[in-house]
Amino acid sequence: MKNNRDPLTKAVKAIQQTPVSTGPPQQTIDSTITKLTELSGSVPPATGHRHIQLFERLKAVKGFPRLAAAAVLLIAAGYITGRLSAPRPPDAQQLYSALEPAIREELLGEMKQYWQLSSAVAYSRLKEDLDQQYRQDLNRFATQTFAASTAVTNQLLEELIKSINSAQTQDRRWVTAALQQIESNRLQDKNQLSHGLATLAVYTDDQLLKTKNDIAQFVSNTITPNLSQTPNPSNRKE
Amino acid sequence: MQVIDWQRIVKKHGPLIWQTAYRLLGNHTDTADCFQETFVSALQFSQRQPVRNFPAFLARLATARAIDRLRQRLHQPLSNAEDADWVAIQSANPGPVQQAQQHELAAKLRKALAQLPPQEAQVFCLRFLNNMSYRQIAKQLGIKTNAAGVLLYRARAKLKQHFQPAIAGDEIQKEKVCL
Repeated sequence: MKNNRDPLTKAVKAIQQTPVSTGPPQQTIDSTITKLTELSGSVPPATGHRHIQLFERLKAVKGFPRLAAAAVLLIAAGYITGRLSAPRPPDAQQLYSALEPAIREELLGEMKQYWQLSSAVAYSRLKEDLDQQYRQDLNRFATQTFAASTAVTNQLLEELIKSINSAQTQDRRWVTAALQQIESNRLQDKNQLSHGLATLAVYTDDQLLKTKNDIAQFVSNTITPNLSQTPNPSNRKE
Repeated sequence: MQVIDWQRIVKKHGPLIWQTAYRLLGNHTDTADCFQETFVSALQFSQRQPVRNFPAFLARLATARAIDRLRQRLHQPLSNAEDADWVAIQSANPGPVQQAQQHELAAKLRKALAQLPPQEAQVFCLRFLNNMSYRQIAKQLGIKTNAAGVLLYRARAKLKQHFQPAIAGDEIQKEKVCL
């Protein structure tokens, strides 16, 4: 491709220099993304392909047989070392004595935890029951107390009404007695006044009569000397 | 299975794929179809095995799809200038004659690529249009580097043979001009 006069080179250059837009139209991008979304949702992933892929990858690794052999040797060496260096099987009694405290402690801990949990559950349940019972009792007591207080209040109100009525009656009696007393006093005063007036009239009549008599006496006394001097016809008439 | 954000992939590598396909196909309609086919193929491939290098992988797919489309176009009666996107010639840099010549050469190369075996055409396009190294091409096509070199050599040889009559025609034309 070094020869610029080569038509193949020119053609390649022509293709390379073909004016191309910087990117696809937005519509193409959108339709492609839509199609990809549909396909990625509809196409199920290939199953059983991972084994093939792993196998192919293993084949592609250079020197895989040597690596595999080295790995096998390492595993074998590790297994033999482990077998040789493994401790003898422990004595059952010793193992029992060694494990018993730990198992017992763990069992005790678990039992304790279980009982704590059970007691917590029972406590909460008991608390709920007591709370419910307490509420029921409290409601019943409140109802009864309310009813009782209503009856007492009614009774007290009746007593109050009665006492008010009796007080009013007593007041009326007192007022009536006072009025009667005033009336009797008035009648007594009237009688006394009438008696006084009658007495005064009698006295006055007596005094008038006495005065009349006195006047008559006087007149008689006065006329008697005159008659002796000159008799008067008018005095005769009297 | 590999989880891929296809929206991001399309937006990131879309321009490269579009340019690769457009250079080979030369019109918007085929390029748009090729663009979509490329990403659909990539999706189907990614569901079978993971993709490590998306740009190179997509470029390879786009090249393959574009060559397939060129081969389809070769068998259709209207395959030359009718499919060309004449709007693209409106650039002001070269003259119209030169543009026409370049366009003719490009069309001829496209036709020649369509006549090549697909793998050789792919190697040629990846090497000269996408500027990939032999190693990258070999990696993408799953072949050895030497095989890629061989395929490229064969492709060039066949393309040169294809362009040989044109060279001869040019020489005759020049002789005629001289006379």
